[in-house]
Amino acid sequence: MKRAHPYSLVGSMLIFGFLLLAPRILPEMKIHLMIEVMIFALWAVSFNLLFGHGGLLAFGFGAPYGVGAYAAALLFQHFAGIPLVLTLGLVALLGFLTGIIIGSLSVRLKGAYFALITFGFQMFLYAIALKWYSVTKGDDGFSVTRPALSLPLAGNFSMANVVPVYYFTLAIVALAILATYFFQKTPLGNSIALVRENDIRPPFLGYNVYLIRLTVFSVSCLLAALAGGLFVFFNEFVSTAVIDMNVSMVVLLMAIIGGSDHFLGPILGAAFYVLVQNWLSSLTNRWFLVMGAIFIVVVLYLEGGLISLFIPKKDQPGGSAGRK
Amino acid sequence: MGVWEIYLTTAMHGLVYGMLIFLVASGLTLVLGMAGVLNIAHAALYMLGAYFAYTFTQFTGSFWLSLILSPLVVALVAVLIERFLLRKTYAKGHVPQILLTFGLLYMISEIVRMVWGTNPLRVFEPPLLSGEIPFLGGTYPVYRLFIIGFSIFILIGMLLFLMRTRVGLIIRAAVHDADMVGALGTNVPVYLFAVYAGGAILAAVAGVIAAPMLSIFSGMGDQILLDCFVVIIVGGFGSLLGAFVAALLVGELQSYGVLWIPQLALVFEFLLMAVVLAIRPTGLFGEEI
Repeated sequence: MKRAHPYSLVGSMLIFGFLLLAPRILPEMKIHLMIEVMIFALWAVSFNLLFGHGGLLAFGFGAPYGVGAYAAALLFQHFAGIPLVLTLGLVALLGFLTGIIIGSLSVRLKGAYFALITFGFQMFLYAIALKWYSVTKGDDGFSVTRPALSLPLAGNFSMANVVPVYYFTLAIVALAILATYFFQKTPLGNSIALVRENDIRPPFLGYNVYLIRLTVFSVSCLLAALAGGLFVFFNEFVSTAVIDMNVSMVVLLMAIIGGSDHFLGPILGAAFYVLVQNWLSSLTNRWFLVMGAIFIVVVLYLEGGLISLFIPKKDQPGGSAGRK
Repeated sequence: MGVWEIYLTTAMHGLVYGMLIFLVASGLTLVLGMAGVLNIAHAALYMLGAYFAYTFTQFTGSFWLSLILSPLVVALVAVLIERFLLRKTYAKGHVPQILLTFGLLYMISEIVRMVWGTNPLRVFEPPLLSGEIPFLGGTYPVYRLFIIGFSIFILIGMLLFLMRTRVGLIIRAAVHDADMVGALGTNVPVYLFAVYAGGAILAAVAGVIAAPMLSIFSGMGDQILLDCFVVIIVGGFGSLLGAFVAALLVGELQSYGVLWIPQLALVFEFLLMAVVLAIRPTGLFGEEI
C-alpha cells in the first residue's frame, strides 16, 4: 500500500470540516444545493462502480434510481409507521433485487448491446410509472411528507427543517460512499476490475464472469436505489421525472465530466453538474444545449474528465476503464 | 363496421407505423453492425427530416419537392457530423461514441426547439393523396396506403442494392466481419461513410412521410428512438431482416395495444423485448456475440 499524500490528507480534512460546518455558514438555499450534490454524488458513485470499475456502461441506470425513488415515496405514503432507516433499507434491498432481475438478463452482453438492453428495461419501468396512474399518478407525480427519524436510545429527530435533513443525508451518503470505496478494495472488488480488463482469461483461472458481473450490477443498483430514495426523502415529491430518459443522461454526464477513471471523479462531476446547472438555469433556459455541448467537449477533448486536471492519470493499464 | 374490419384497419395502422420504424432502424442497425457504432443521434435525423419538410413545404408549397430536398439537407448534416465529430471517436471505442451521439441528440433537439418553437407543427399531405378510398369493405386514408407502398418500394430497392450489387455484397460482408473485409483490401471506412449517409437519408425520408400523418413535435425523435432500440434488440444487432420483422411486430403491438389495452400499449413492446432477451439474448436474427 502506498501512503497517502500529505496534501490529500489535509485536503480531505478540510472538505470534511467544511461538510460538517456547512449548515452554519451557508444560507438555506445553498444547503439545499449541498444536499442535492451529496445525493447525486452517491448516485454517480454507484453508477461509476459499474461503469468505471466494472467497465459496464448501462444506459438504463435511471431504472434502479427510479425504483428506489418510487419505493421510498410509496413507503412514506402508505407505511408511514416504518422507521426511516428501515424504509431506506427496504428501498436499498428492492434496488438490489431490481439489479438481480435486470442484470441476470443483461450482463451476458457487452458494449453497446448491454447499454441498450438496460435502457430497454428502464423504459419498461418508465412506461409502468407513466401509465399506472392510480398508484404513481403518472406525469403529475405526488408529494409525500418527510418522516421523522427515530433512533433507538437517541430518541426522535424532526426532519421538517433543512439542517437535520442535511446531516442525515451526509451521514447516509458518506457511509454508502465509504462502503463503496472499501468494496472496490476487497478481493471481490479486485475480481471485478480483473473481469473489466479481460473477460476471456478469468474463467480459466476459476472465476465466474457472469456471477461477478451480476454482483457488481446488483450492488450498483442497490446504491442507486438508496440515492433515489434519499432524493425523494429530500425532495418530498416523486414523478416520472425520476425514471425518464434524461435521468440516465444526467448520471452519465456526471460520471464523464468528473472522470470515470478515478473514484473521486463522479463526486466532483456531481458537484459540477448541480452547481453549474443551478447557475446556468438562472441565466438561460437552453440548459440542454449547454449540457449536450459539455458532453461533446468532454468526450473529444477531456477524456479523463475534470479530475484529470487535478490528479494526473494513472499509468497502469487499469486507467482505460470502460473504453473497450 | 364489423369486428373484422376494425381488426384489419388496426393491422394496417400497425403496418404503417412498423414501416416507418423500419426505415429509421435500418440505417441504425447497419451502422451498428458494421462499425459497432450505436448512433443515438440517428433519431434526431428523423426529427430533422420532418422539420425541414415543414419549412420546405412552407417555402415551395410542394410536398414532393420537400420529399427530395429535406433528406438531402439532412444527409448533409449527418455527413458533417460524421466527418467532424464522430470520426474522431472511432479509435476510442464504443463508449465515447455513445456519449457523443447522446450529446448530439440533446443539442439537436434543443436547436430544433429554438428554431421551430415548441408548438406541434403540421404538414398537409399533397392533394393527390388526401381523402379516403374504399378498402376491403370499409374506407382507409389514401395517405397511409401511400406510406405503405412507398416504404415497400424503398425496401425492395434496398434489398436489390444489398443483395444484387457488389457494393451491397461488401456492406453485408462488413456487417459480418469488418476487420476481415478490411484485411482483404477493402477501404471499409468509405463504405461505412456511404452507409451512414444512406441511413441518414432513409431516416429523413421516414420523417418527411411521417410528417403529414403524425404531427411534428420536438419529442418525436425520442419516441422513435425508443422504438428503434426495441427493434434492433428484438431483431438482432446488424440484422436487416431482423429489423424488418421486429419493426412490424412493434408496429402491430402498438396498434393492437392501443385498441385493446390503451394503458399498457407502451409496456407491451418492452415486454416483447424482455421475452425475446430471456429466450434468445442475441435477438431473433442476431449472430452470436
